[in-house]
Amino acid sequence: MEQAGHLVVAGFPLALDRRYHVGTHMWVLLSEPGQARIGMDPLGIETSGTLAELSFVPVGTELIAGRPFGQLEAAKFVGPLVSPVSGIVLAVNDAAAIDAALTVRDPYGAGWLIEVSLSDAAGELPALLADPDEITTWFAAKIADYRRMGVIAQ
Amino acid sequence: MAEPLRVIDFGCASPLRSQTLWHAIGYGVSAGAPATLSFTRPAAPYVCIGYHRGIEEVDHDYCRANGLPVFRRMVGGGPVYLDAGQLFFQVCLPARALPAARWQALSVLLEPAVTAFRVVGVPADLADELEICVGDRKICGHGAGQIEDAVVLCGNLIERFDHERASRVLAMADPDQRDQTLALMRRFVAATPVDPVLFQASMISAYAEALGLAAVPGELTGTERSAVAELDERFASAGWLLGPDRPAPAAGAGPCARQVKVRAGVWTFAATCDGAKVAASVVRGTVEQVRLRAGGLNGSTLGAERALTGVPLRSVAQVLAGFGDPGRRFAAAFATADPGRL
Repeated sequence: MEQAGHLVVAGFPLALDRRYHVGTHMWVLLSEPGQARIGMDPLGIETSGTLAELSFVPVGTELIAGRPFGQLEAAKFVGPLVSPVSGIVLAVNDAAAIDAALTVRDPYGAGWLIEVSLSDAAGELPALLADPDEITTWFAAKIADYRRMGVIAQ
Repeated sequence: MAEPLRVIDFGCASPLRSQTLWHAIGYGVSAGAPATLSFTRPAAPYVCIGYHRGIEEVDHDYCRANGLPVFRRMVGGGPVYLDAGQLFFQVCLPARALPAARWQALSVLLEPAVTAFRVVGVPADLADELEICVGDRKICGHGAGQIEDAVVLCGNLIERFDHERASRVLAMADPDQRDQTLALMRRFVAATPVDPVLFQASMISAYAEALGLAAVPGELTGTERSAVAELDERFASAGWLLGPDRPAPAAGAGPCARQVKVRAGVWTFAATCDGAKVAASVVRGTVEQVRLRAGGLNGSTLGAERALTGVPLRSVAQVLAGFGDPGRRFAAAFATADPGRL
């Protein structure tokens, strides 16, 4: 099933034109060579609770894969937005910082989070899921896990 | 043998230290200190605001006039009033010990507190939005956050609650909204005056059992003591109080209502649009109380207020359509209220 150009897996839209970090539910969409846009997939958003606030590090900040590029607040829980890649922050999505619901409504489009200049694309991108079949299998398995654990509705 | 649950009772602490002590534990647990349950009671009243919230939500003139310092914490939630009538607890674990799904992690961290309340005779439940409640009244305020690689949840046993001051410290320009907020706080936020020593003991047992840890008394590590000194400085600085950088709303963005959340689904707002002023309280999507002020309503303000009472918020514009041009302006003011921003 497809919705607005995205596959729909067990009720959740899934974009197959980008890479995914399985531990953080962050997606990485390569734009120009050496540059990428980063966002959070709908499953990562759903399992956070009602998204209330987003804040980002300033443009120009050096990012390290596995470390925060901002904070997300949901259900009074402030937690890190963890970067799946290393690089320099080129832009942050002010519209999402003003209205976090934008990221809920359009996680793959207008609700993107930051743009980065990649510092180790060759070393880090292969660790992300890129094959559409693998992405779909992983996403479906995570939905099943979360439903079994009662984290998301059946 | 079970891993330890370090238990630290800080007793009474200054307003600043009642925040920085447990934030320091976050850094300590992140650096390898054991999971920790701590307790503290503020020696003097103060105001504390959640990590992301705008500093303008606090009535600074009132706080200054009443000697109430204001600090920003690293966990979530809104501005709150704290005093010696509240015993605060904090549980801090390595992030890897908790489920990655934050909603689930919060449940894991809150459920032992519910157990502890029940052990001391308070029939608490974990209700909507993961609030600890008795019936429809919230009895425990909580917030959570990740500090480096540790997750901390803090909450309180409210032995006595000064509803008047708790609402007074919030910036509200509209006196009707202030009255409505106080009324909702009295109705939906309750103290549970149980023996704090028994509560503390039941908390220690409940968390140790739920987490599979062995409770042992402990104290701060050297790393944590250093972190306290650094945090004392950071939390007292004007820059930290201002909060993280937030972009200004886009040019041309419409006015926003001043909204105050009392508990999940219970809130007030005040808004003005084209000279029409609205102050209303909303309980689970329904307008409970409303005060309208504007010229041109020719004495039918009371009628409009009556017509709106008990109406779902989403149907307000439909009801106000029967009140001519003033009704249109009131509807525009109502439209600036957004439960999604609470």
